[in-house]
Amino acid sequence: MTTLLYANALSGGYGGDDVVRGVDLSVGEGECVAVLGPNGAGKSTLLRLLAGILPASSGSVELRGKSLQAWRRREVARQVGFVPQIVNFAFPVTVTEVVQQGRAPHLGAWRPPSPHDHAAAAAALARVGLAGRGGAAIQHLSGGERQLVLLARTLASEPRLLLLDEPTAALDVRHQLEFADILGQLVSEGVGAVLVAHDWNFALRLAHRLVVLHHGRVRAAGQPDQILCPELFGEVFGVEVEFLRRNGGPLTVLPQRLARRGEGSVES
Amino acid sequence: MRGTADLALVAALLLAAGAALVLGGPAASPREALAALSGGGAPEVRTIVFGLRLPRLALALVVGASLALAGAALQALLSNPLADPFLLGISGGGAAAATAAYVVLPAAALGVVPAAAMAGAAAATSLVWWLARGPLGPSPTRMILAGIAVNAATSAAILTMLALAPSPRLPGVIAVTMGSFASASAGQVAWLAPYVLVPAFVLLLHGRDLGLLATGEESAAALGVEVAIVRRRVFLAAAALCGGAVAFAGVIGFVGLVTPHLCRLVWGGSTRRLLPRAALAGAALTALGDLVARRALAPAELPVGVVTALLGVPFFVALLRRSA
Repeated sequence: MTTLLYANALSGGYGGDDVVRGVDLSVGEGECVAVLGPNGAGKSTLLRLLAGILPASSGSVELRGKSLQAWRRREVARQVGFVPQIVNFAFPVTVTEVVQQGRAPHLGAWRPPSPHDHAAAAAALARVGLAGRGGAAIQHLSGGERQLVLLARTLASEPRLLLLDEPTAALDVRHQLEFADILGQLVSEGVGAVLVAHDWNFALRLAHRLVVLHHGRVRAAGQPDQILCPELFGEVFGVEVEFLRRNGGPLTVLPQRLARRGEGSVES
Repeated sequence: MRGTADLALVAALLLAAGAALVLGGPAASPREALAALSGGGAPEVRTIVFGLRLPRLALALVVGASLALAGAALQALLSNPLADPFLLGISGGGAAAATAAYVVLPAAALGVVPAAAMAGAAAATSLVWWLARGPLGPSPTRMILAGIAVNAATSAAILTMLALAPSPRLPGVIAVTMGSFASASAGQVAWLAPYVLVPAFVLLLHGRDLGLLATGEESAAALGVEVAIVRRRVFLAAAALCGGAVAFAGVIGFVGLVTPHLCRLVWGGSTRRLLPRAALAGAALTALGDLVARRALAPAELPVGVVTALLGVPFFVALLRRSA
């Protein structure tokens, strides 16, 4: 398996305060790595550092063996598709126009989109099941459809690696499963993915490996079966959980109650 | 549909320009002006058409295009439909400096008023940028809040000077604060042209980046936009366009704010294609506004800023209702 992205002792944050501290992480082709952690653990910041949107204060990120800084921003965007949590639509635009924005990394300042660019955007929209909605105003879509459009916008750039920041946070169950299916299929086709998720079970459905962040540091990393234990959830999330596994399916985590004092450290 | 609208835009621009050259007072009637335009006519009519009306039209076109282009770019850059050179305090800075120059300087030195306006716009731009600074650069929200603060301060300064200005200087001050093309000359247009062309090129160059920035800075960075560089270039270019406009025509409202929205209503959302159309539409609207300012109550002349606001408000209200 070829390594796409490799972070070594990565630290970074805002205004001189590191939110992420000394994180190691790698993701290869056809691999999905899920980043878990409570609010404020540094998950979104880690994703911004991996995307090169936020400069690291120390440590390094390599994209296909070359330092992220050595790539031009647009070259990074052609290979790494970052799906942000918040995208504004301050002005009326159609779904097709939004998805075509995903081709921007392949276009210069002046070149209009070619037939190939249009085809890639149409394919991306079809992939998320919204082929018929291209002419709709993005403002008129439901939250779930909008999230799928943002995924399509990222897929239109034909990235080798996806960085997803809580993509299903606002989705109903049907759209969550739809999103998981699409993502699972992409990964099986060789796309790498780093998935930040609050929903443990959504992450476990897709992830080959987990990275559990706590106060900006890696508290545990590895395959789900090897690292997940009730003590970890007690310490990191401050909750008691039970595990459920049925017929060789993915592990399911059921939160039970807040951890009692002493068993887990509630966030300080 | 878009092609038809493009043709209509070009036709409107040509019509407004043609009307501005042909229509006017009794010294050069439409018939005489047409004769002058086709190469004949009396020498004094030719002087009026080519020496007065043409520079005035050219200045209106350049200023209108500059304001609309700057407005469209700032709205996208700040991802805010209310952004324009006024909201950001740039025009206010230019107008305050120009007003101060009118009030303070001796008559012989009034030639430096445009330079003062440009310096004022540049100072306001720098101040807004500095006030909005943050760990990751100036954020759109802070830029707008800083702009509102600077704008309020410049308004207070202008009103104070207006109250204290010696009466012989009042017409000049009013021309600055309400906008006027009455003092246009060929020399001004020649001076302004390169000053406008370079920033306009910069904005058009970043049209695609601006479309992405309109969806948020993180979203733009994710699609390969060098946000810090583009933000600085676009802000400086828009400020330069606006400073040039204020320097030679004073404060002309609503063109920068409303024209981009009108173009979005007609042509849809792509910012890259919006920018040149907004420039053409701004030129047409301002030329038309100046024609109305000149002719509506002739021989008296209205401030052009008043007319563009009067033309702009109904459009703006319609837009507001449509989006509701």
